[in-house]
Amino acid sequence: MLTSQDFLFYFLALISVVFGLGVILYRNPIYSALSLVITMISVAFLFGTLDAWFIAGVQLIVYAGAVTVLFVMVLMLFDLKHEMKTFSKGMIGNGIKLATSGVILGMMIVFMWSTYATEPTFKPIAADATSSVEPTRALATSLFTTYLFSFEVIGILLLVIAVGAVTLSRISGGTHHAD
Amino acid sequence: MPINPAVLKVGIDHYLYLSAILFVFGMLGVLMRRNVIVILMSIELMLNAVNISFIAFSRYSDNMNGQVMVFFVMTIAAAEAAVGLALAVTVFKKFREVNIRFFEHLKG
Repeated sequence: MLTSQDFLFYFLALISVVFGLGVILYRNPIYSALSLVITMISVAFLFGTLDAWFIAGVQLIVYAGAVTVLFVMVLMLFDLKHEMKTFSKGMIGNGIKLATSGVILGMMIVFMWSTYATEPTFKPIAADATSSVEPTRALATSLFTTYLFSFEVIGILLLVIAVGAVTLSRISGGTHHAD
Repeated sequence: MPINPAVLKVGIDHYLYLSAILFVFGMLGVLMRRNVIVILMSIELMLNAVNISFIAFSRYSDNMNGQVMVFFVMTIAAAEAAVGLALAVTVFKKFREVNIRFFEHLKG
């Protein structure tokens, strides 16, 4: 018997697939960015259906918030309303790309089906972990003990990236011309 | 032919199928679009697809390592978007266009 959780999954999956298609099909990049936001939000709720509440929140803040705002602001900077040559040309080349992607998708789905379709159900989480606190606590414990070094390295990487991005965009005088 | 309801019951395989579909959409975007910004968006789409399978496996095997990995992937993705957009700004300032073919002119 299908439960409401199953219907929630199908609803979110439909939204993310439709707007994921929108990202690559809209000719106007702003519409692509907006489709991307909706895909990100539905993916965040999919994380929620998998009881990864902290990751769902981070997804909403970092992806649907920060990264997409970055994209939209750069698009506003560029002012690309009329975009020429949206897709790459060449019937043969595009046919090969489509065929390759289709074959890869088919292979992935057949592999997943043959591996996981026999026992696909998730184990119910423990009864004392009904609140969202316990999985989050386990995540934090793992992050700050086993993966502490990686966590610190990521911090250094973010610093380097911030400096690098500023340097890159200042190469020829910033976003405004110096003269 | 009626569909067996047991097939529609959502398990890890459904999440993996969704992940595969979104990944292929992102791949098609990278392969077929010419606008650098849209290519970066497609890369974000692919990373999201991979994150879905990480979380699904993490829930399936009752193991937190998948979620930690998703946390790192999100950080790297944000950093990658920042650097990619900075490169796009650099190209746009020189050519007034963000088509992928101008990237071969980047020097120094």
